[in-house]
Amino acid sequence: MSRTRSINKRNGVALVLAAAAMLGGCSRVDVHSNSVRGVAYVRIDDVIKHHPLYPQVQQLESAIMAINLESTMPHAPLSPQEIAQQTQLLNQQLKDAQSRANAAIQQKQQQYNAQERQADIVALKAANIDPKAAGLGPQMNATSQQQARAAAQAAQQDLQQYQQSVVAQDNAAMTSVAQQLSKEADQKFRARAEQYQQEETDLSLRLAQQDATQRLSLRTKANNIAMDATTRQQVAQQLSALDKKEAEQVAALREQHQQDLAAYQKQLRAETTAAVQKQALAIRSQTNAKLSARQQQVGAQLRGLGAAPVPQQSIPPDVQQQLIKIHQEFGAKFQADAQATVAQYNATKSDLDRQFAALHGEDVGATGAAAKQVNDLQKRHDDLLAQIQSQIQREANKIAKDDGFTVVFDNVQAANGGYDLTNDLIRDVESLHE
Amino acid sequence: MKKRLISSLVATAMLAVAIAPAAIAADLTDVGFIDQTALGSLPQFASANAQLAQYKAGLDQQFAAAMKHARTDADKQTVTMRFQQQLQEKQQELVGPLFQRAQLALATVATNRKLSIVVDKRIIVYGGQDVTSDVIGAIRSSQALNPPSASPPPSEIGFVDQSALDNSSKVKDANQQLQQYMDQQRPAFQQKLKAAKTDAERNDVGAQFDKLVSDKRDQLLKPLVDQTKSATANVAKNKNLLLVIDRGDVIFGGTDITQDVQNALNK
Repeated sequence: MSRTRSINKRNGVALVLAAAAMLGGCSRVDVHSNSVRGVAYVRIDDVIKHHPLYPQVQQLESAIMAINLESTMPHAPLSPQEIAQQTQLLNQQLKDAQSRANAAIQQKQQQYNAQERQADIVALKAANIDPKAAGLGPQMNATSQQQARAAAQAAQQDLQQYQQSVVAQDNAAMTSVAQQLSKEADQKFRARAEQYQQEETDLSLRLAQQDATQRLSLRTKANNIAMDATTRQQVAQQLSALDKKEAEQVAALREQHQQDLAAYQKQLRAETTAAVQKQALAIRSQTNAKLSARQQQVGAQLRGLGAAPVPQQSIPPDVQQQLIKIHQEFGAKFQADAQATVAQYNATKSDLDRQFAALHGEDVGATGAAAKQVNDLQKRHDDLLAQIQSQIQREANKIAKDDGFTVVFDNVQAANGGYDLTNDLIRDVESLHE
Repeated sequence: MKKRLISSLVATAMLAVAIAPAAIAADLTDVGFIDQTALGSLPQFASANAQLAQYKAGLDQQFAAAMKHARTDADKQTVTMRFQQQLQEKQQELVGPLFQRAQLALATVATNRKLSIVVDKRIIVYGGQDVTSDVIGAIRSSQALNPPSASPPPSEIGFVDQSALDNSSKVKDANQQLQQYMDQQRPAFQQKLKAAKTDAERNDVGAQFDKLVSDKRDQLLKPLVDQTKSATANVAKNKNLLLVIDRGDVIFGGTDITQDVQNALNK
């Protein structure tokens, strides 16, 4: 790979220019000239498009687009029974996620408690203090720790039960609202259908009355035994035509009514869905407020349980400080670890909330398995892009260093000076994979 | 002939050496950068950001639900502004004091190092002065931080607030047209998606839709982008700036030319 610009050696002027460039200390651009001042810039996004792995990035983007496109497809509204059934399923998933998170947090708490106790013993022994005498032996504060654990467990269970009961109330209210609104829609639809049926019957009767004289006349003719076969056939055809005309008119009206009813049903469904959404929003908002208030209350209780253990025997101040430091360190580690579990739970809950919202007709994009698939694809996409960017970054560094630039920018909006390294970098990236 | 050429070359070289210090300005070395990710990983920032993220997650759901009920564009705008304000207020409450200390720490470090601009690490491909550890040290120190008495020196790196430029009615109209176009085209592609039997076919439909949107975006927005770039370049030339970057990437200092670019675009 040679990035050195070719030098035209045909005349002396070119030779002089080449010498001047050499004095400037750069092989292809005068990095230190007034217009460049050691500054370069590159459009990394453009370079990425020339990387041999870019088609794979595009494939992943297409797959993500396809899933997102599918998730916004209109779906037929669900019946109240289906909504209730799926809501129950989502609630079970939420409950499982809560249980998993609580179990994981409890396990971590016990694990860090044990580690902290061990660190305390080591610290006391190092200070020539008998841990048992200090009340910090293996059985130290067993009662108080057990009490604290039991209180924390009870608080968690209480919160969990409260969440379940509030969510259950929410869902019961939602189901009831959905059923009520659906029932109202059904009543409206039935009323309209009965009205149309009445209109069809009225038309049928009206036509029959209009044609009554003609029909009677034809039937009288038909009953005449002296009539010849041809005339009889003609009369029969006339009667048949009369029936057909009436039937066609009634059928046309019925057809029109069927279309109207289909449109009306669609309209009712849309209205019902909108009304359910409105109610769902109000109910969910109340539920969130209740849960948030309770969470804060329980959080405060649990924080109160986290105070440093009070030694039972007088311990020198420096060792006490050390024990407090150990407690704080393990407390911080536990908090960080628990935070990850809580974040995981929140991600699950967030997806379940989205599924719940989607269930009630809200347009929330991909959820559930589709959302997981999108996340997986997005991660692969981001990893691949990071890999490409990293390679481009390395190449850009090499070029910039070789050329003697002091600083190279990306994402420049406009340039009045500096040197554009983009094309050099594109050539470089392409040549690396030739 | 050869001798004359060599003497000419030597003379030119000597001349170049003699005039170089007076004619060539020094390289730009007063550019610093900071790794904001490292800053955000500090325990106090991490905790505040986690609280903010949790708040935002709740707010996003409320926002999505509220937008469903917004019928007109004016309604949508009102809803968007209301939620943005709520988020900003929470951000100010949680991150404001920390951010202020970080700003003071950065200003102190930049002044000490005589930097005219400090940018986000993400846009520095090579070189520049890394001030991250100095700033973290200043934030962590127990001493009170006071604003530096001197303002940063004038920078030859300018910046524009791209989000302010994107707020122009022309850009908004173009974005609205693009959204309408996507809404119109989507059902046809959803039908194609239904007919697709394999993953490859589905991805192909996704790619087609992506390309369609991308082409339309180019058609609607590229002329506006080019116009803005041209106006920005002209302002940069008039103000003797070397480069212009986005305001979002500037952490400290720099020369703000947003108003000049807006004026040029409104002419």
